[in-house]
Amino acid sequence: VGGGFVLVPLQVLWTDTSQRNANANSLVAIIAIAAAALPIYIFRKGSPQIDFHVAGFLVLGSVVGAFVGARVMGRIPDRQLKVAVAVVLGVVGVKQVLFP
Amino acid sequence: VTWGDALAVAGGLAAGFLSGAIGIGGGLMFVPTMTVGLRLPQPVAQGTSLVAIVPTAIVGGATHFWQGNVLRRPALLMGGGGLVGAVAGALVAVEVPGDALARIWGGFLLFSALRLGLQAIRNPRRAQASQQD
Repeated sequence: VGGGFVLVPLQVLWTDTSQRNANANSLVAIIAIAAAALPIYIFRKGSPQIDFHVAGFLVLGSVVGAFVGARVMGRIPDRQLKVAVAVVLGVVGVKQVLFP
Repeated sequence: VTWGDALAVAGGLAAGFLSGAIGIGGGLMFVPTMTVGLRLPQPVAQGTSLVAIVPTAIVGGATHFWQGNVLRRPALLMGGGGLVGAVAGALVAVEVPGDALARIWGGFLLFSALRLGLQAIRNPRRAQASQQD
């Protein structure tokens, strides 16, 4: 897991950060975490299992999506944003508990 | 360009949107796009997802930064702490029963979802107030 699922609720529930700032902070922190985890992953595994062809196409979509998503988030009121985060966490949580 | 490539772009778009809007890495969408959509094996999907998360988070994080939503100190502290944790976790590589761990993790997510949901319902004023800062 990337870490966002821990960082986002932790900030809002324990440190009284607004949902908007928590989401933004989390994403910035993930840059450092993923950038550190990637080389370790590649070196630890003898043969890293990465499909660069697929990665290229995923990134093609995801960078556009990330830009749009971040812009859209700026326009959503904090309360609605909180509900959206709660729904995503809830769905993933149920899935994890029932089908680990 | 095949249908599989198009599917990867579509899945990437959804993953990126979720990542930018909610502040998660995007692996949540990247991995099923590859395992369910493209029928890639789980280890390949996870490795590839990790690669895709880096540029996604950079674009989303930069966009948030320009919009002034990033609080520098907490973001740096979490990034630093997370970095140390990621390195430690990868090096130690503890053997834990996967299913139990996944359930505990799911429980934590449910608990967080519940608390956030209650906060949104109970505390409209605080939520409104933080909207304006």
